[in-house]
Order: sequence, then C-alpha cells, then structure tokens
Amino acid sequence: MILGDLGAQVIKVERPGAGDDTRAWGPPFVASESTYFLSVNRNKKSIAVDLKHPRGAQIVQQLAGVCDVLLENYVPGKLRHMGLGYEQLSGLNPRLIYCSITGYGQTGPHAQSPGYDSIASAVSGMMHITGPEGGDPVRPGVAMTDLATGLYAHGAVMAALLQRQKTGRGVHIDCNLLSSQVSCLSHIAANYLNAGKEARRWGTAHESIVPYQTCYHGNSWLEECFSHSLSAVCGNLQVMELMELTEDPKYKTNKLRVENRKRYPLHLSVRFLQETTADWLKKFKGSGVPIGPINSIQEVFSEPQVKHNRLVQEMNHPTAGRIAVIGPAVRFSSFSPSGPTPPPLIGQHTVEVLRDVLSYSDDIIETLLESKAVVQNKVS
Amino acid sequence: MILGDLGAQVIKVERPGAGDDTRAWGPPFVASESTYFLSVNRNKKSIAVDLKHPRGAQIVQQLAGVCDVLLENYVPGKLRHMGLGYEQLSGLNPRLIYCSITGYGQTGPHAQSPGYDSIASAVSGMMHITGPEGGDPVRPGVAMTDLATGLYAHGAVMAALLQRQKTGRGVHIDCNLLSSQVSCLSHIAANYLNAGKEARRWGTAHESIVPYQGFKTKDGHIVVAAGNEKQFVRVCQVMELMELTEDPKYKTNKLRVENRKQLLHTLSQRFLQETTADWLKKFKGSGVPIGPINSIQEVFSEPQFWKNSWENTLISVPGPAVRFSSFSPSGPTPPPLIGQHTVEVLRDVLSYSDDIIETLLESKAVVQNKVS
Repeated sequence: MILGDLGAQVIKVERPGAGDDTRAWGPPFVASESTYFLSVNRNKKSIAVDLKHPRGAQIVQQLAGVCDVLLENYVPGKLRHMGLGYEQLSGLNPRLIYCSITGYGQTGPHAQSPGYDSIASAVSGMMHITGPEGGDPVRPGVAMTDLATGLYAHGAVMAALLQRQKTGRGVHIDCNLLSSQVSCLSHIAANYLNAGKEARRWGTAHESIVPYQTCYHGNSWLEECFSHSLSAVCGNLQVMELMELTEDPKYKTNKLRVENRKRYPLHLSVRFLQETTADWLKKFKGSGVPIGPINSIQEVFSEPQVKHNRLVQEMNHPTAGRIAVIGPAVRFSSFSPSGPTPPPLIGQHTVEVLRDVLSYSDDIIETLLESKAVVQNKVS
Repeated sequence: MILGDLGAQVIKVERPGAGDDTRAWGPPFVASESTYFLSVNRNKKSIAVDLKHPRGAQIVQQLAGVCDVLLENYVPGKLRHMGLGYEQLSGLNPRLIYCSITGYGQTGPHAQSPGYDSIASAVSGMMHITGPEGGDPVRPGVAMTDLATGLYAHGAVMAALLQRQKTGRGVHIDCNLLSSQVSCLSHIAANYLNAGKEARRWGTAHESIVPYQGFKTKDGHIVVAAGNEKQFVRVCQVMELMELTEDPKYKTNKLRVENRKQLLHTLSQRFLQETTADWLKKFKGSGVPIGPINSIQEVFSEPQFWKNSWENTLISVPGPAVRFSSFSPSGPTPPPLIGQHTVEVLRDVLSYSDDIIETLLESKAVVQNKVS
C-alpha cells in the first residue's frame, strides 16, 4: 500500500470468490467491504485468479515476467508447488524482486506454522511486556507486529530496487513476523542478552525513568513523560505547584526517583486528580514538559495536529460510496501522492490487467473467463 | 541502523560530553554504555561536534555536501537557526536527502512540542486501545511508536534515493511519531471514520474473531487464533470439547462473537487444566495457530529465533529482521563510543589535514574520544 502511495502500480492477486480473507473481517462493513479491508488496500488493482488452474498459474508467471516486485505471504513451499517459487520465477525474470512475508521465516522448526500477529506477538515477547503492572499480559490494541513487518518489507523492497540498479539482478527477501517483532524488542532484548535482565509489565510507566506515566482523572487520562533532566522535572513541579518536591533529597536525580518510584508518582497523582485534563494541558502549555492526553479514537480525529497533518484521506468507492482511511504517514517535499484510488472489489481489474499489462487479446480473455481460471467482478 | 546493516556508512553527530541522551538510559549498563544505547547503534561512527561553535556547524555543512542522506530529530526550526536547515543545506547540495523526524510534524499547532513515544502513543489513540478489557490503558511494552516511525523513515529514505536517480535532486522528508502511529491504527481508524465506531480495550482478545486471544494455563499463558470455522472445530477436537461444535450458538464466527462470554468461559476453564507445554504438544500438527506468551528469556530459547538471527560475540543485540538472498550484512561494527571517530571522519570523509584537525580539537569545536 505504501509503495502504491509512492506511485507504484500494485496488482493484488486474489482467489476467486471470497478473495482476501480480510474482506469478510467485520462488522463493521461498508456495503460489501469490511472497514478492515478498506483501511489497507487503497491504490491496488484486484485480479481474481485461480492459482490451482494451470492457466491461472501461468498468468502469474507472466506477470512476474513484466513486474518489478512480487510480494507473497504463503507458507514456505506452497508457491513452489504451483511453479511460482522464487527459483522458478527468477529463472524466467532474473530482475524480479521476490519478497516473502511469513510468520516465522523461510526455514526452521516453525517455518510451516501460519503467521498470525497475535501468536507472533506472544511468541516474540511483546505480550509478556505489555499490560498492567502486576496484571495479565495484553496485546497492543492494533496488530503492531503485522504492521512492523510490513514496514520492514516496504523498506527492504526499496533497498532491493536500489541494489538492482547496481547488479541488474533481483533478490529473494525473507520478512517474517517473529524476526520483526523480536527486532523491535531493541533495548528490552539488549537488557536480557547483555545483563541477563528479564523484562516485566509496567502498565504505563517506564522502567528506568520516573515519572513517565499516566494519571487518571475520573473519566479521562493524562499521560506525562518527563525526561530525567532536572530542568524538565522542575518545570513539571513548578506547573503543578509542588516545588517542595524539588527540595526533597529522595527525588533529586532520576536514579533516586526510580529507587523511590512507589512514592514519587503518588504526589503527582493526587495533585493531578484535582483538575481536568484540559486545564492541565493549558497549564503545561509552553512549559517544555512533554505531556499529552490519552485520546480515544474520536479524540484523535479531533486533534488539531492530526487534522493539520492531513492524515485522513477520503475517496469514492464503487459500492461503499464515500470512505475515509488514514493516508500516508510520511511527506516528501518533492512529491505529492496522486490519487488515491479506492480499495478494489474482488477481481475488479482482472480484464484490465490481462489486457493492458499482459497484452492479451479479447478472445483469449474470453476463453480464460469461461474456463474459470480467472474471474472478473461485474464492477470494473 | 537498518541502513547501516544494508551497507550505508553512518556518521552519528553527537554533542561533546554526554552525547546521545540514551547512552545514560540505564541501568542496565555494560561498562559505560547503556544496553538501551547498545541495542540500536551498531554500524555507526560517532563524531562529537559542538554545533553552536561556528566551526562545528561548518563541519556539518561540509558533511552534508558529501553525504547522500541527513537524518535529524530536532524540534522544527532549531537546525535552521544554526544554518543547517533543509533550504540552507540543499542550497549547498541539491542532491541531499534530508529526513526530519519529529514528534508531530514540521508545521502545525504541536510542531514545537518535543516528541516522546509515550506521549505520541497517548495522543494517537494507541494507549486507549491497549490494556485489559474493562481495565486501564497501558503502553505497549516497547516503544512501538518510535520504532514504527523509524521504519517508515528508513523506507522513505530509500524511496527518496530511488526518486533521486530519476530527478537528480534530493528532498525534504517529514516523518513524525503522531502520523506514524495514527497510520498504524489502520482498521481501528477506519472503523471510526467510516462507521463511527469508537474503539476500546480488549486485553488479548480480538473484537471480531472468537476465539482469538490469550488464555491462562496451569503454569502460564497461551494464545490461540482460530480465525475460521475449520480451525474452531480443530480447537474443540484437541481440547476434547466436541459438544461445542454442535452448539448452534457457536456455529459461525459471527455467532461466536455474539456469544463470546459463555464460550470463552468454557474454553478458559479447560485451558487451566494443563500446562502450556502440554497444550502446545496437543495442538502440534492441528493447523490451529497457537503460541506461548514467552518471557524474554523464553524468546531467546526459541529455536526458530536462533535460525533467523545472529549476535555479536561480546555484546548481544537482535540483528537485522530481514534477510536478502543476494546479500549478507558484513560486519557488524559495534555501537560507537561518543566521539570515537571524530578524527577519522574529518580526515577520511572531509579530507582535513592533520593541522586543521589539531586546531579544531583545540578550539573544542570537535572532540575525539580517547578510544578510536
């Protein structure tokens, strides 16, 4: 999707009928499409191809011959059985960049396990470190493991394109949920690998910086995070009219505040309860202290900065009407994404792609449709 | 760091003295360096430069003249005051790719607020949706907002390099924590924007798929992800709860979602009866996605992890997440000490003579670590 935002032509190959599983992941739905599907499928064309049909597999081979990048998320070995593995396709097109995304990797004891964000999040340690202090593990509220893997993949594809300019050859890329999420453990992993330090759950707090956490206000939440620099902490205490805490030797440095972490935040919590989130944000404005509200999703989309960053992208969908999704996160001074085009219906562009990308004649297209090797949506 | 893994030469410009804040973020420390710093700074050289010293700023201008990419995370406007803003440096080097990473963006009502993962996570809705059902919001256990932003940035830099090959020109890239995390809300955001549906916290569960969550076992936690009817039947088979497959209340995912409380109660009770290891054994080969909630120690005992990863012999960090068939990362080089490569970079990248380097060191515009 990000590559589509940057101007790539993206052809999504789906099995006829239901197509991508996530089209059905709802409610909520907008017309026939789940908002789940709509959220990550803009700027793609959909062709519906039966890969088990020999003519279907052949179409993909031909597409691989004229495209730069193939992205797939099959369990390792499955595509090879259909004649669509890396060795087979790069034999036909040595410039092909073939990016495989799996749960665990192309080889190894778990390579045949299907990949799910939830499981990978558990196996990779992410859930172990997320949750209330003294409470049960929880998942990040959105599939961050899936997303991180996709982000690693989009960069890897572009790195491969850059390399191809030097070597003239493509490459096989191995991205997987487990590696991506373990990689994202960064300092948590380094703590264990170098200091034998097991991690635990801290709720909203930070293990090594105090204060760095949430205070509750009855019906809303305020998250504050203070650098352990003395000036930021003093700034904080000044705004809260708790200057006596700056005199207390128990709280002079971050190290001491970490040691006395059970008591220090209590002073702040009690004081925070006395005013509303909006009033605190007003008081802290201009103080240089990092602070922010824990926004609900509705509040996120009322945030003036979110509006300013133009994160909401609206577009017309052929059956769902006007839809809105989050647009590109990154802006380029020299480039404005043109478009977007709406998430496609299943098989919406089958005929178009066969005709325009593979130069098939109308007769051949007709034969393929009749053989059910491919399917065209009634909407195109 | 990822660009360094892929072969880029990375020069980290730090202020003399403490340098990068995160060097001090511990315990734990390994000698002088926090494991925090060690975890994300391999394959970089460090030069210690006082940007407020005119000769210091000049060095950065010269580096920007001979480098492909500049990455910075200052509050917008600060570097411009030092003569190191995008317009100024691209004037000197029109091919420069200048990637700015901030909390909120280059412009706008919050642009001057410093960026912190925790705050961005709160403001962007991430904390609102993370936590136990009926409980309080929590942070993801690691700074996923920071990490997602870095991942967006690494791709953006490479996209800019690709574009430069066509246009011959650089670009200013705006990455920020808020946009990255809101972008990552994906379907949660789409639910709200298209169906007015506010999100809430679900613990380990999934709002629209049942069963798809963590369960307590006799000795820990396990996560099961039964995304369709076939998998649900398998779950019941393995757990010896076949009567559930006959129950009309649980026939489809939609029905299971509607009747989730009751179903989950039944499954929870059954899961408590065996250990995590026994459940994993029972489920092996069933085709049902399942996995233990591993502690960090358990993660690094996972045989699959050892297949994928590598470690430096003296310090250990998880290595690159992505493998390329045509390319093995050479190296790595260890995370640098503050100012470890100041002289080397001035000499080899900017071709400064020894005399000039000596003068700069004396003026304190730059500092060299005693280790080099």
